Amino acid sequence: MADDRAVSATGLIKKFGARNVVDGIDIAVPRGAVYGVLGPNGAGKTTTLRMLLGIIEPDGGTRTLLGCAHPRDASDRVGYLPEERGLYPAMKAREAIAFMGALRGLDWATGRKRANSLLDAAGLGHAADSKIRKLSKGMAQLVQLLGSVVHQPDLLVLDEPFSGLDPVNQERLEALIYAERDRGATVLFSTHVMAHAERLCDRLAIIAGGKRRFEGTVADARALLPQRVYYLPKERGEAVSGVLPADAVRDGEGWRFELPAEGVEGVLGRLIAAGHGIADLSIERPGLHDAFVHIVGRDAQGTPA
Amino acid sequence: MTLRRTVRQTLTIARRDFIATVFTPIFLLFLFAPVIMGSFSAVGALGAASVADGANDRARIVAIVPASRTRAIAEADTRLRDVFRQSEAPPALTTLAPAGDPAAQARSAFAARDYDAAAVLYGPLEHPTVLVSPTGTRTADYLIALAEATLADERLGAARPHLEARRIPFARARPSAGGGHQSAFFAVFGIFFLTLFLAGQVVGTMAEERNNKVIEVLAAAVPLESVFMGKLLGMFGVAVLFVAFWATVVGQIGALMPPSMAAGMGELAPAVGGPAFAGLFIAYFIMAYLLLGSVFLGVGAQASTMREIQMLSLPITVLQIAMFALSSAAASKPGSWLATFAEVFPLSSPFAMAGHAANQPGLWRHGAALLWQGLWVTIFISVGARLFRRGVLQSGSAKPWWRRKGTDAAA
Repeated sequence: MADDRAVSATGLIKKFGARNVVDGIDIAVPRGAVYGVLGPNGAGKTTTLRMLLGIIEPDGGTRTLLGCAHPRDASDRVGYLPEERGLYPAMKAREAIAFMGALRGLDWATGRKRANSLLDAAGLGHAADSKIRKLSKGMAQLVQLLGSVVHQPDLLVLDEPFSGLDPVNQERLEALIYAERDRGATVLFSTHVMAHAERLCDRLAIIAGGKRRFEGTVADARALLPQRVYYLPKERGEAVSGVLPADAVRDGEGWRFELPAEGVEGVLGRLIAAGHGIADLSIERPGLHDAFVHIVGRDAQGTPA
Repeated sequence: MTLRRTVRQTLTIARRDFIATVFTPIFLLFLFAPVIMGSFSAVGALGAASVADGANDRARIVAIVPASRTRAIAEADTRLRDVFRQSEAPPALTTLAPAGDPAAQARSAFAARDYDAAAVLYGPLEHPTVLVSPTGTRTADYLIALAEATLADERLGAARPHLEARRIPFARARPSAGGGHQSAFFAVFGIFFLTLFLAGQVVGTMAEERNNKVIEVLAAAVPLESVFMGKLLGMFGVAVLFVAFWATVVGQIGALMPPSMAAGMGELAPAVGGPAFAGLFIAYFIMAYLLLGSVFLGVGAQASTMREIQMLSLPITVLQIAMFALSSAAASKPGSWLATFAEVFPLSSPFAMAGHAANQPGLWRHGAALLWQGLWVTIFISVGARLFRRGVLQSGSAKPWWRRKGTDAAA
């Protein structure tokens, strides 16, 4: 039976000194999915990705990459953008992309041809013959990203890919991730920026303090928190507290409370019956950001990566 | 399949390093470094030579002899001088007629303003006395020989034997023992010189990846052993280019060499024979390069800044010079315990065995030595790659092992 998971890890452990920086993490990334690894700084995201790719060896646990027990055996089918971006400054952009392809088994001629196409598509065709040192940081980062997909990998692993990019290039990157998914590749990326994860991820894992705190879809994560209601009276200072649910708290001129199990209709009816005006009444769905903060809670230690 | 992939990955790294090194203007400096070194040496030598020539021009040997013997002693001096090469000839002869006390006159010759007396002969030629300056021991010997020749000419006159010997050029069937020693020294020096040039390049090459943070891209795609081997191969390609260039230049110079000098070079024939020696020299150069290169690469991989690399360069150069000194000593004493030690010790083995090939015939030892050195190359590369992996890829910024603590933060 074909394994429907591109990446699978069970009980991954990595110790640096006496400290478990990754402490028994399980991950299962379905083939063809965009999968996010979310966590605060110092959560163990980079170390987890490095272990999954075989760059460093885990101290415990097992992992398979594209069906291979040894990640190295699959390295030609993997693209990787590390958190610490790095290119040879004296290389031209086209050569840098072809070089990264050559490392993964792509012949140089094909690599150069694809590099030209990728650079054109990314709006960097004019920079193909420019040396990396002449490019801006964002452009160099895009070149490296193109280098990680030039060999058309089955799995693309991106470590904090959005950091250092301006909004325009962030959009380009999102488009590239979608394009890779549409091509059939699996995309695994780490981030601590919730907006990208919310838009891109089919599934995600939230890790903190080296442990996995959550695994599921974005909707699953958001469902962990109840929906809330925001009510803004028409007249300032109206005495409405007796009409609202007991958990209602003031928020500026308005009130916030958890959406009652029976819905908002009961509250609405009571407000109308009591003659209170309604300037605004809205149901707020919690975002991934709220879910993340809720899940990570006090584990977010802010250790520098 | 795995081997093919490993070879491909290694060659990809090697290609990158080779191109990055060769296709830069700086490479010309590297390629012509021997010319630059030679030029500096030549300038120094010229300066020293001009100082020495200035001193030699003023140096004299002085003979205080009666006027009746002035011509005879001058003729004998002309004849004896023919035996010497110009650079080895004694100082020019100055003759003085005796005036008053010869001993006092001889002493005053050392105070002369227009020349520097190295030795002064006075008194009857049959019982001469020679005053010798601290640097004039050999010139005093020459003055005494000159007195003897003058007396012989006077006494024998036309009866003095004059031989017209036949001179037939003859080349030895086997190299001379001295020539073997010289070949051994040149072999050791040649490998030392080449590895000295390349060591600086190798030691800094890993720092490039660390500074540019390319190392993680490489490590994710390629085993670090392949990165190591690729870097060694890349720099080896540079070395081959360097050697080929200079071998061509030297070959052309050799073709233009005067026959007498070429005959002198013929004395350098190595004991194992020219073709075998050429093959062994190349093999030992490769081994020396791989052995020292893998050590330097492993050590250099611990450095992350140019400053640290510069700090590491000194002990590395000292190590190279130590290996050169050990192997040179071994080459001058073939068969001694020192030679055996140098041939067995991994880092000096290629140098010493190249010297061995020049000094002693027989090839089986060389096969064993190459296997032994190959084993150490494997060990050094494995250990170096492991050290490198531990040093760089924990997390965050790379730290050398001496700065690491057990509590590196995870990203």
